[in-house]
Amino acid sequence: MPSFTTQVPNLQGVGPVVEVRLAVGTIIEEVLQKNNQSIPIPLPALSMIDTGATGTVIREDLVSQLNLNPVGVTLISTPSSTNVQCYEYLMRILFPNNVVVETVVIAAPLQGQHIQCLIGRDVLRHGVFIYTGYVDTFTLSF
Amino acid sequence: MTGILDRELQTFNSQKSGLIGKANGKFALVKDDKIIDFFDTKFDAVRQGYERFGNVPFLVKQIVEVDIPQNFTSNLLKI
Repeated sequence: MPSFTTQVPNLQGVGPVVEVRLAVGTIIEEVLQKNNQSIPIPLPALSMIDTGATGTVIREDLVSQLNLNPVGVTLISTPSSTNVQCYEYLMRILFPNNVVVETVVIAAPLQGQHIQCLIGRDVLRHGVFIYTGYVDTFTLSF
Repeated sequence: MTGILDRELQTFNSQKSGLIGKANGKFALVKDDKIIDFFDTKFDAVRQGYERFGNVPFLVKQIVEVDIPQNFTSNLLKI
């Protein structure tokens, strides 16, 4: 079972964050290769596992860096807004230990420059998320 | 939000009531003013969209009576 475990000093204060790489989806790579177009280099992104997020969100400026085009539109609600329309994009999330998840993500502005991606329950639904607070670690298995 | 998929959304919404009876719960693949096909999963529809049109915008939308918003409890979202 592919999995990774990450230790985060002060896990309670910082949250379950992990450095991932964001890449275009497999089918996009296939299409780009077929058309002799260059494949965007995966982007490093500090991500937070967020059990309070229905879906995965990436900071919207990353979309243009990966030359992605939208494949959908969805409504989102946050603590301060309801029914905001956002674009959706196909993406591969490359976790440590070669753990790879392909999903359709939402692009939205995120506060500050610290977190670039929220890993939501669309990813967690495929796996096991273990938060071991007393040793400041968490594990994600698929 | 800019209007990249406005035409596709307009196409989908104009035919939505008919689609609900025909393909409720399925995912429609829409390009410009045409509904191309219906799929059981979102990934199948997205894959077909890339295979048919390449790396360009297209719309995949589930056929449901009411769109339920995705919820985010985090205040990291600047919306």
